[in-house]
Parts: sequence; C-alpha cells; structure tokens
Amino acid sequence: MKSQLFAGAAVLALSASGALAGGHLPFNPGEGAFSWDSYTAWAESAPDLSGQQVTVSGPWLTPEDDVFRSVLAYFADATGAEVIYTGSDSFEQQIVIDAEAGSAPNVAVFPQPGLAADMAARGLLYPLPDGMDEFVAANYGAGQSWVDLGTYADKDGNDQHYGFFYNVNVKSLVWYVPENFEDAGYEVPETMEELKALTEQIVADGEVPWCIGLGSGAATGWPATDWVEDMMLRTVSAEDYDAWTTNDLPFNDPKVIAAIEEFGWFARDDAKVAGGAGAVASTDFRDSPNGMFASPPGCYMHRQASFVPAFFPEDTEFGEDVDFFYFPSFAEKDLGNPVLGGGTLMAITDPSDGTNALMEFLQLPLAHEVFGAQSGFLTPLKSVNPETYLNDALRGQAEILVNATTFRFDGSDLMPGGVGAGTFWTGMVDYTGGKSATDVANEIQSSWDALK
Amino acid sequence: MDNIAGSKSSLTWAVHISVLALVLLWLFPTVGLFVSSFRTGDQIATSGWWAALGEAEQNIVLRAADPDDNRVADGDQFVVTGNLLEAEGASGTITVWGTSSRAIDAYTAGETAELKGTETITVDAAGNYEWRGSEDEISGRGQRVFATITAPPEFTFENYDNMLFDPSNSEGMAKAFFNTLTVTIPATIIPIVIAAFAAYALAWMDFPGRALLIAMVVGLLVVPLQLALIPLLKLHLGIGIGKGYLGVWLAHTGFGLPLAIYLLRNYMVGLPRDIIENAKVDGATDFQIFTKIILPLSFPALASFAIFQFLWTWNDLLVAKVFLIDSTGQTTVMTNQITELLGTRGGNWEILATAAFVSIAVPLIVFFAMQRYLVRGLLAGSVK
Repeated sequence: MKSQLFAGAAVLALSASGALAGGHLPFNPGEGAFSWDSYTAWAESAPDLSGQQVTVSGPWLTPEDDVFRSVLAYFADATGAEVIYTGSDSFEQQIVIDAEAGSAPNVAVFPQPGLAADMAARGLLYPLPDGMDEFVAANYGAGQSWVDLGTYADKDGNDQHYGFFYNVNVKSLVWYVPENFEDAGYEVPETMEELKALTEQIVADGEVPWCIGLGSGAATGWPATDWVEDMMLRTVSAEDYDAWTTNDLPFNDPKVIAAIEEFGWFARDDAKVAGGAGAVASTDFRDSPNGMFASPPGCYMHRQASFVPAFFPEDTEFGEDVDFFYFPSFAEKDLGNPVLGGGTLMAITDPSDGTNALMEFLQLPLAHEVFGAQSGFLTPLKSVNPETYLNDALRGQAEILVNATTFRFDGSDLMPGGVGAGTFWTGMVDYTGGKSATDVANEIQSSWDALK
Repeated sequence: MDNIAGSKSSLTWAVHISVLALVLLWLFPTVGLFVSSFRTGDQIATSGWWAALGEAEQNIVLRAADPDDNRVADGDQFVVTGNLLEAEGASGTITVWGTSSRAIDAYTAGETAELKGTETITVDAAGNYEWRGSEDEISGRGQRVFATITAPPEFTFENYDNMLFDPSNSEGMAKAFFNTLTVTIPATIIPIVIAAFAAYALAWMDFPGRALLIAMVVGLLVVPLQLALIPLLKLHLGIGIGKGYLGVWLAHTGFGLPLAIYLLRNYMVGLPRDIIENAKVDGATDFQIFTKIILPLSFPALASFAIFQFLWTWNDLLVAKVFLIDSTGQTTVMTNQITELLGTRGGNWEILATAAFVSIAVPLIVFFAMQRYLVRGLLAGSVK
C-alpha cells in the first residue's frame, strides 16, 4: 500500500509542470525610489554582449538565489548577455575542484575572504578591473578597510585587488521581543554595563535572559566565535584585534583569554542561558531564537547577525513582534562603537568581456537596491537610497554599518582555515562544555603554530 | 540433544526479540521523518514529531484583531470581538490564558481579565473574545493573549504541495527527475555489462596473472573515490568530454566496477564446473558459454548488483556535483535540487523530510520489483 502511495507521488512529480514565474525585472525601470538615473546612463553606454554567457556561482540558495537572479536580469537587459547564477550548499569545496580542474565559472561569490585569499595565492583568481579599488575606497562606508579585505597576494606575492564586497551582514546585534520587555518593565540597555545589569535583573526575576545556540552541523561552534570577536572589539583596541587575526597577538594572550571569559560570563552560567550552559553547544543556532517567541518566553535576548530573521517564526513583524539593539560597548572603556560584520565577495575566476561589464554593473547603486528591496541584504555603498530597503530593521542595520566608527570583519573568517574554521570552533564548544579559557586558548594557539 | 537439525532451538524467543528490536530501531527515525513531512516548519521547530500524534497541550501566543480597523463604539467605550483561534488558523480548546508573558495562566476560560484603567478582555474556551475599553486603550496593536490549548493532531499536505506543484519548484523538480534517470540508468547498465565479461574471464578463463588481477580488483575496493575527483575531472576536460552526462557515466562506471567485478566473479566461480566443461567438450566457444550458460545462471547476482548500483547512483550527490553540474545550471539531479530547496542556511527541516520521501519513491519501486533477487544474489557465492 505504501509503495503504491510513493508510486503515486512519483507520477505526480512527473506530471507536475508549470511555467517558471517570470523572474524578470521585479521593479519597472523608473518606478519607486530606486536609483534609475545612474542605471539608464550606464545601460546606454554598456557594451553589447549579445550571445555571450556569463556564469556566476555562489553559496546563495532559496530564497536569495532568485533575488540575485532578479538583480542579474537588469544586467542582462542592459547588455543582452545571458547571465546564469547557480547556487551550491558546498560551494567552498566545489569552487576549489572546478578552479583546479579548469571548469570554473566566470565569477565566484565567496562567503568569506579566507578562501578567496587562498585561491588568489594559488593563481586561481584574476584581479578586478582597474579603478575598482578606488571606487570602493571612495564610495563604501569605511571604504579603505573594504579594499584591504579584498586585496590578497597573488602567486608571485604581489598584492592585487581581487574581491568586491557585495551583500554584507552586521553581527553586533541583540534581538528581543519588545512586548516581553514591556510586560516585564525592562529597558533596552545603552552600555555593556547596563546589558550585564539587565541580564542579572532577569535572572533575579526568575527568568532566563539569553538564548544561545552553537549547533550548525559540521560548523558547530561558529556563533561563539562571533561572541568572542565582539567581546574582543569591546575590550581591546582595533589594532589589537587586527593583530589577533594575524596571530601577531597570540591566541593565548591574556587579552584574548579575558575576551573569551567575557563570553563565558553570559554562556557558562546555567541561570543565564535557556536550557542551561550544557545546552549551549547542542542547540542548533537556527532553532535557538525560537525561545524568544515561545509562551512563556524561553529567553529575552538573542545575539546574532542580521541574517537571523530568516529563522524567526513566519509572519513575524519587525519593530512590532521583534526588534534589535546594538550589542553595546563598555562605557568605562573608550573604544568607540565598534561594529563586527561579515559578508560575501565577488571575485573573477574566468575573465571575459562579460565579467568586466558585470563588475561595472555591480558598482551601480541599483544592483544593491534591488537585492535589498527583496531580501535581508545590506551594503556599505553610500549612494544606495535607504528607502529601498525591505524593512525598518534593515534600514537601521544599514545605518549602523554606514556610521560605524570602527568596522571590523569577522575575525575567524580572516584566520587560516584550520584555526578560523577548525580549532576556534571546536575550542569554543569545549569552552562552553566546561574547559578553562586558558586551556582552550593554549590549544588553539598550538594548532595555529602547527600551521605556520 | 536440543540442537539436532530439525528441532526448534530453545533460543527462538531471543531471536524474535532481537529482530523486533532491530526493526523498531530502524523504523523509528523513518516514522519520525514521515510524520515530520506532514508538519509545518514552525511546528517542527517548537515540538517533537511524537507530540503531533495525539491530543497535545500547547502554549501559544494569540493576538486580538487590529483595533484601528475592527473596533466598534459601544456607549463611551470601544469593543473588539472575534475569535482568537480562528484568526491564527489554530484549533483546540483554551483551558487557561493570560495577558502577560510573565503570567500566562492567570485566568481560566470564560473569566474576564482587568487590564490597565477600564480596559478588560474576556476569553472563552472556544477562543471567542471581547476586548473593551476607552478610545485610547483600544488602539495601537491587538492585545496579546497567551493561551494554553489542548489541540487535536494537525497535519498538512503543504510541504508536498510546495515541493511538487509550486510553480517555482515543480519545473525544476521535474527536470531534475528526468536528469537523474538519464544519469542512473546508463550508469547502472554500463558497469554491469563490463563487469559480467570481466567476471567470466576472471572466473573461468585460464591466463597468466589471473590471481594477481583479482587481487588488484579487490585492492581497488578500498581506494576512496574522493582521491580521483580532481585528476579525473582534469582528464575529462583535457580530452574534451567536459562536464556532462558522458563524464558522469564514465565516473560512475569506474567507481562501481571493482565491487561489480568482485561480486559477479565470486558468484560465477561457484557455478557447477561440470556444465561448463560439458559445453567445452561439445565445442562451445567462451563467448557462447558466457551468453548461453553463465549469463542466465547469474541473473540473481546481476540483479542484486543492479539494485546496489541504481540506489548508489540515485542517491549520489558528490559525483554528480563534480562531473555533471556545471556553472550553466542546465543539468541538475534530484539530490542537488533537494539541497537547494533547503535554503541558504539549511534550516528548512520540513522540506528535508518531504524531499526524503519524494526522492525515495523510485528506489522503492526498483527495490520491490527486484528484491526477490537481492537476497539470492547476496547469498550467492558465500554458500557453496
């Protein structure tokens, strides 16, 4: 009986056919708050690429893939080129295999700079068109830092500009349910001292302040690295942070250990985390925000990057059902308001006329606005009209990003893969499991030494 | 003298219990996945699949209708009425409820809660409410109500509908389905044909170095295929096959051959020597012996290997990603299509559960059609 059912399903799968929904130009040129002028000006002088194919590969899957395709549709409309985007969940492995074997796409979207730097050093990437570095330096918020993040040594050791950042996220955010705060009479904290006081206040009221989940399949532990990075930016200077990502400041330096222990203050106390400290490492990061929306609330706050609303319950309204505040800095330490972020970057893996034109197109504000109007997308590009963002939450985050006094990239993505995507992750899992911060830091440092 | 052949072993009960335990152990996750495929993503995130089977007590958050659109003047007060459960699409009976996240069981069904000032709200067991207060109080957002309900089991076909009939997915799924068949059928037949010839030669033809060849084939069984990915793809690109069906057929053939040859050779070597020698005496050539005698007799072994190879190629993602799927996106297979449906950060569990049962359909048909050969083929060669 069961097999008949399945056979039925197969027949249904076979007979199912429907036209793919348009996927073409979601916003009509000239309508809305988009920056059409610069687009039409560029389109008039754009090269005619009819008959050419430009292939792009990246890590975005549903729903971002269709959104990105709709961005590319404007490029195709202006140049006549056929642009194909394919997403893959194992992009990081696949791009290496394809580039090594010689079947790489024209453009690759890297989820983190570490892998791009590695491939540049092996001669598998091609530098961006001339002048792109100047464009980024002049038009991105904290522009030079974005140029530096996209500049790597090539095969011969010369620094070249390879990576153009597109789709950025802000990590220093704390999400909360305003009505739950209202019910309990809590105020949004302005400083780290207030945040800690609020945490203790919630514990004193017999409730659980935080939801923290580190689970992420093979990448389990990465949310904790973001915590530690945020704590580093709030306890040491940005120069020390940069030195830390290159290991000029050793991982077992007392400053780093202190930052790990700051994270431990939140995560290693049974009373402060939903499910107790033991549940931190085993809770999936995708499930952990759900505690805020439970009845009664399983927790009151959740620190996670700007992409996390994708995992909130359906129909959650921003500003009403859920809101965020900036993960505050210590008032007593004069370090400004540092912002931690991450992002994807575009790099050329197989150059053609089409890739150069595509890179020009991506400098237009429209290429950023169309993505931001449909999905959780942020850009440091200053010429983007904030009105086009999908919701107020994104507008608020974009403001944090553009006005950041110190912007620093996710440190674990800058460290060598064996540390930033290896021992740092597992070390953090061990730390939440009860190992001392000193032991964990020593182990991570020795794994880094082994890589040198 | 219990264990004479023909008499029943006294440990039968132990066998039965362990079989039952193994079956349960095996079925448990599958049943869970099956139940999950009929639940929504939010349900999966908030409760386990076993909670969906019976009547369950749940705590849910409900909200009264937007007062700006729905309030009605009643004297100097305003009133909003409606049904909380219907508005949320939920069903069940409210037992206790509250209006603050700090006291979700403050009132029983039918009671009236006194809020700030003159504001009151009454909620009954069926979810009907009356929210009353002054003009200022009945404004802004609808009042939140935290309700504890006993709800009947609730299942949905939404996931299957979304996967198979949603216009944005179904075309891709249908294409992926036929592409997968295009990959699997030749990738099953080609290695069987080659392996049958090779197995006959290794089993029944005398030539120097035969034992060494067999040892090499067995040795190849332990070589991980990941080793060959980049060199093989370079070779395919170098000789102009590129990424495509031919490349993926060749790759599957190469990776499947060692097991196929080993399995078929062991089976063929166990066939009665007399038949083959008789045929030789009668003047049959090796090719005639192979086609007229060996092949018909080896049918169970061929069928069982066909099942193995078909299941492996059907479920394969790695080989397809490396040798088939190129950056033009024109070729895709079911497994790849499913991982793409999972979303950028892989959180869509309901899709995963549903996809598992959609993709399992064809292998199940193949298995049930050929399973009577499977056991015979597996035993073949091991028992003489």
